[in-house]
Amino acid sequence: MNLRTLILRSLTFHAKSHLGVILGAAVGAAVLIGALIVGDSVRGSLRDMALARLGKIDHAMVTNDRLFREQLATDMNSEQVTAVPVLMLPGIAINSESEIRADRVQIVGVDERFWNLAHEKPTHLNLEEDQLILNEALAERLGAKVGDSVVVRVPKVSSLSRDAPMAPQDDDSTGLRFAVVEIVGKKKLGRFSLQANQIPPYNAFIPLARMQERVNADKRANLLLSAGPLPVTAVKDHWRLTDIDVEVNELSNEAGIKSRNAIEIRSPRIFLDPPVVAAVTNTFTNSALIQTYFVNTLVNGESKAVYSMVTAAGPPFVPADLRDDEIIVTKWLAEEINGNPGARVKLNYSLVGHGRKLEEASREFTVKNLIQLKGMYVDKELMPDFPGMTDAESCRDWDTGFDLDNDLLKEGNVQEYWDRYKGTPKAYVTLNAGQQMWTNRFGDFTAIRIPRGGGESLIENVAAVASPQLKRLTADSVEKELLTKIDPASLGYVFQPIRAQALHASRSGQDFGGLFIGFSFFLITAALILVSMLFQFSVEQRAKEIGTLLAIGLKPKQVRNLLLGEGVGLSVIGSLIGLAGGIYYAQAMLHGLSTIWRKAVGTSELAYHAGPGALAGGLVGAVAVAAFSLWLALRKHAHQPARELLAESDSSIGVGDPVKAGSGRNLIIGVGSLGSALILTAWAFKADAAAAPGAFFGAGALLLIAALCFTGVFLSRLERAQSTSAPSLGTLGIRNVTRRRKRSMATAIMLACGCFLVLSIGVFRLDENLKATERDSGTGGFLFLGDASVAIRPDLNTEKGLDTMGLDADDLPDVSFVQMRLRAGEDASCLNLNRAQRPRILGVNPDALSSRRAFKFASVSDDSAKQDPWQLLRQPTDDGSIPAIGDNASLMWALGTGVGKVLEYPDPDERGRPIRFRLVGGLANSIMQGSLLIDEDVFAERFPSSSGYQSFLIDGPTGKADEISKTLTRGLRDNGLELTRTTKRLAQLNAVQNTYLGTFQILGSLGLLLGSAGLGVVVLRNVLERRGELAVMLALGFKAGSLKKMVITEHVALLMLGLFSGIGAAVVAVIPAVQSPASDLPYGKLILTLAGVLLSGVICTWLASLWALRGKIIDSLRNN
Amino acid sequence: MSESSLLALQNVEKDFQATDEGGRLSVLRGVNVSVKPGETVAIVGPSGSGKSTLLNLVGALDTPSSGSLVLDGEDLSKLDDLQLADIRNRKIGFIFQSHHLLPQCTVLENVLVPTIARGQANDDDKHRARKLLERVGLVDRLNHRPGQLSGGERQRVAVVRALINQPQLLLADEPTGALDRGSAENLTKLLLEFNEEEKVTLIVVTHSLDLAKQMGRVLELLDGKLEEQK
Repeated sequence: MNLRTLILRSLTFHAKSHLGVILGAAVGAAVLIGALIVGDSVRGSLRDMALARLGKIDHAMVTNDRLFREQLATDMNSEQVTAVPVLMLPGIAINSESEIRADRVQIVGVDERFWNLAHEKPTHLNLEEDQLILNEALAERLGAKVGDSVVVRVPKVSSLSRDAPMAPQDDDSTGLRFAVVEIVGKKKLGRFSLQANQIPPYNAFIPLARMQERVNADKRANLLLSAGPLPVTAVKDHWRLTDIDVEVNELSNEAGIKSRNAIEIRSPRIFLDPPVVAAVTNTFTNSALIQTYFVNTLVNGESKAVYSMVTAAGPPFVPADLRDDEIIVTKWLAEEINGNPGARVKLNYSLVGHGRKLEEASREFTVKNLIQLKGMYVDKELMPDFPGMTDAESCRDWDTGFDLDNDLLKEGNVQEYWDRYKGTPKAYVTLNAGQQMWTNRFGDFTAIRIPRGGGESLIENVAAVASPQLKRLTADSVEKELLTKIDPASLGYVFQPIRAQALHASRSGQDFGGLFIGFSFFLITAALILVSMLFQFSVEQRAKEIGTLLAIGLKPKQVRNLLLGEGVGLSVIGSLIGLAGGIYYAQAMLHGLSTIWRKAVGTSELAYHAGPGALAGGLVGAVAVAAFSLWLALRKHAHQPARELLAESDSSIGVGDPVKAGSGRNLIIGVGSLGSALILTAWAFKADAAAAPGAFFGAGALLLIAALCFTGVFLSRLERAQSTSAPSLGTLGIRNVTRRRKRSMATAIMLACGCFLVLSIGVFRLDENLKATERDSGTGGFLFLGDASVAIRPDLNTEKGLDTMGLDADDLPDVSFVQMRLRAGEDASCLNLNRAQRPRILGVNPDALSSRRAFKFASVSDDSAKQDPWQLLRQPTDDGSIPAIGDNASLMWALGTGVGKVLEYPDPDERGRPIRFRLVGGLANSIMQGSLLIDEDVFAERFPSSSGYQSFLIDGPTGKADEISKTLTRGLRDNGLELTRTTKRLAQLNAVQNTYLGTFQILGSLGLLLGSAGLGVVVLRNVLERRGELAVMLALGFKAGSLKKMVITEHVALLMLGLFSGIGAAVVAVIPAVQSPASDLPYGKLILTLAGVLLSGVICTWLASLWALRGKIIDSLRNN
Repeated sequence: MSESSLLALQNVEKDFQATDEGGRLSVLRGVNVSVKPGETVAIVGPSGSGKSTLLNLVGALDTPSSGSLVLDGEDLSKLDDLQLADIRNRKIGFIFQSHHLLPQCTVLENVLVPTIARGQANDDDKHRARKLLERVGLVDRLNHRPGQLSGGERQRVAVVRALINQPQLLLADEPTGALDRGSAENLTKLLLEFNEEEKVTLIVVTHSLDLAKQMGRVLELLDGKLEEQK
């Protein structure tokens, strides 16, 4: 015989009376385990989606605007590794017949190799040049089916950033027409995307070769996908310099010029990337750096020469003693501008400034000497290969990316010089002077020459003709050498373990298990209170047993352990039953998430997944919380003296709870709470929109506490009241409420709190229409949020910019734009269930937002910057991290970080430097959720290849919203501009929180229903305890029906007490929601809920009364 | 207190709060008594005279408001709840008017329940339980539940349970109160036999003169004081 045996004996013997406890524990466990299964299911579904979007892909190298050779992928293929080149660009798709458009489409140029990465191959592996495959999402969006004609518009690509100086202004995009030959689902890589998001992307798979041809990317790709164990050195083992836009040329040197007996390094990007420059100069220490720039005018007094090339270089191009303020000029130029030695010459040139604005700059030099246009000075290859100039026959055909003055072109001898010397520089300055003038984010140098004839520099270089035997260096040998010296990662050529990252993102996203435990909190609490009450009643019935055990020498702790052991046993049984219920509960919740709560998750593809962890963890958790609630219920039991417990048979007439329990204390707390509630309410009416809901909720909660305290006082007073008048059956019933005051109060509190929570939680519903036009609202006061699939380069705030895009400024009066650069990434908002690894990055001019005082900040890292937090984006950081601002909630929930912290971005920037964001500000519930905002200048410096603007905040008169929308959407259709009203966007974001609140309300209502069932239990217990007393009343001549009425009156009073306390308090809490201009409180649902609770409470009370008063009550007299 | 006393009460008083306003009801008003080892004592008195209160004090279920209560050399009024529980378990055996057997346990298990206070029943405990149950004629009912026994049998189980830990003092509160005459006589006989065999001091609270007369001493509780009846 031991404690365990005794526990087992008790469990089996009291099985019937424990049934309620087991059922209660089962409900609690079902809800808890169900919530955890929901968490597992969301994670499992996200994992499925991650695997579906990647097929067999393990690694990906994304080079964005840089293009590598398609052959690189081919060379990487091995038995273990499948490497596939893809050209992927954002674009637009249009159904030719219906003209339905889809923006933000992933245009994926593929060939049959791509489908090797799919779990199932499509029928059309080799697309004809006019065929395309759509994924299901895009086909549905376009209403397209097999055989339909679809036009795809896709941006052209260029090695030279379109923002770079001298970048041509040709068409940005091209349109291609295809016939749909197949629509693919997720098994056939239909969901292919590199970004973790449960919302399927729009994918159009088009023939790789045709796409390459049309976007100027012949045999090139910007995405390398691989399956299999990729070696770390995969890129380095197979790459060529052309993959990073570096050309190595052996200069022709017929004239026997030293400076041309060289290997020249140059780039179609015009400016050599700094890591390339560093590698070349470190490897070939005798190499010479060259910078040639386009100068608008060279002016000497009244004379000027227009549109000339000027080179900055060291010797032999310039004398070794040339100072930084000196220039040597060709005789041709000297004649044009009378620039003899000693003359002051002013160079006027254009630089790319903030945004994409061209800024004029100038610098004066003194002419040191003149040079003849012969020998090394007739070297037209000193001019980089400007795409809009190099091949032009006439200077009138130049496309330099900015407006050339045709009159000037005609005036001078520009054409004559071009005809004779092409881009041969007319003047030379020191390398230092060149860097001071023309350094820009794209690089410093346009070429590097490595002497082939030996010597320590180009000066000592031997001309090829003079000494052909010294011709040791070749383009191949230089390339071979450089390939070992340049780290591809320093230019962003690095494979990312995309599958591992995707799985991580799916695992570490929003924890729906925790979320649903929160939503079900009241339901779980109600179940546990029920369990606790039932067990307590059961234990109370066994008072003598406990008394006996204490009397024979068992210590109180041993008795409590015995009872607790029994309770744990019940919890285990209940939880095991709940395990099965949890599975159904989870399925119901998943169905809800896929249907009525879809706004919160954005997908209907959530499938049931339950890992052993959730089941076992849930089971253990459910047992633990049920056992804990039983432990709480048991605490007082073994503290009662044995003699009292043994004497309880004598108290069957009802001792009741001790009267002493502070009605005075309740009164003080009640009055204090009421006073505080009134003060807080008064303050809340004056508080700002952000603080008011919390204040009203607090006031409501205080009012609830006051109401419950006063209820306690009332019951105490009622108990002690000495009425001289004859009691009626009704008043007798109400007085009975006071007999087990604590029990009555527990029931009232449960109902009141449930009511209050369910009704008042609606106050936290977010309202996108509240002060929507004001700058400090979530919309920032903007009218539209715009996203362009193809970047827009001109400044839309200028008439010229609008005109370039085919828009008329007169059609857009009072419309202005905050233009933002975009680094595509994952949506880091609450709309993405995955944990965003690479959030979207927006480059914005802080002044544009600062001058508008747009958005409200929830927190800033530096209190002194509170007046103008946007300027924090420009504040330099000690550790080289980039100051960034995001939406406060997104930072916290979607990125798992916060203001003041540093966020590590997984990819390096284009220079191979790690990206670390220092979060300096968090916006309060704004439309900027999902992105990180950084200073545009920093953006351009970190991502120099990106060009133009793709994200816009648009101001305009609210009354003309429709016209503005039509004008912009039509005018910028080739760029795929998609405009969203800011209020609509905010509503989409708010819908997540609002849906969650709705879920809480629904599950809270279920908890309330359970609470009303708890009332039934109380009724049952109360009446069973008083059967003897009721029998006496029967013996005294009362009718059975009257007694039932008395019992029901007593407990309905309790029900009403709870409901009205909760409702009263909730009325205060919902004031802000009622005040909102777009108030959409679900009055109907709430009234139905309360009516349901009232009805179920009355029914439970009635049923419990019937049950308790069944049989011959009069027999109780004999038993007693 | 005499050195040979097992139990000695000196000026023991006990009162209770009677009203909300703090009024007190005095039940015992200076009880003095000494009980030697092996004695049999009956405590009698009218209803409400405080017999059960006195038994609760002697049984370490309650503590006096004043005075001293020494059991086997230990002043119970100075012990805490855990020490009192230990005293009850080791030195005292209880027999209640209602047997208070655990309905979920068998006869043998019920007898062994007090051993749980020390951990669990060992072989010696089980052997003693069987021996005692054999002694009271219930050896063939070891695995029966209380619900399957007669009133007299239940009370005999309760007696064995009270003796399982070899107490020095056996307290019985109206042990025959719920039994018919025959069963009551048998139980009385059994208690006295155990008093002899187990050398256990027996104190019985009873209304039954028949039972009281068979005890070595009879003490009457009147007006809160204990008086010896000759």
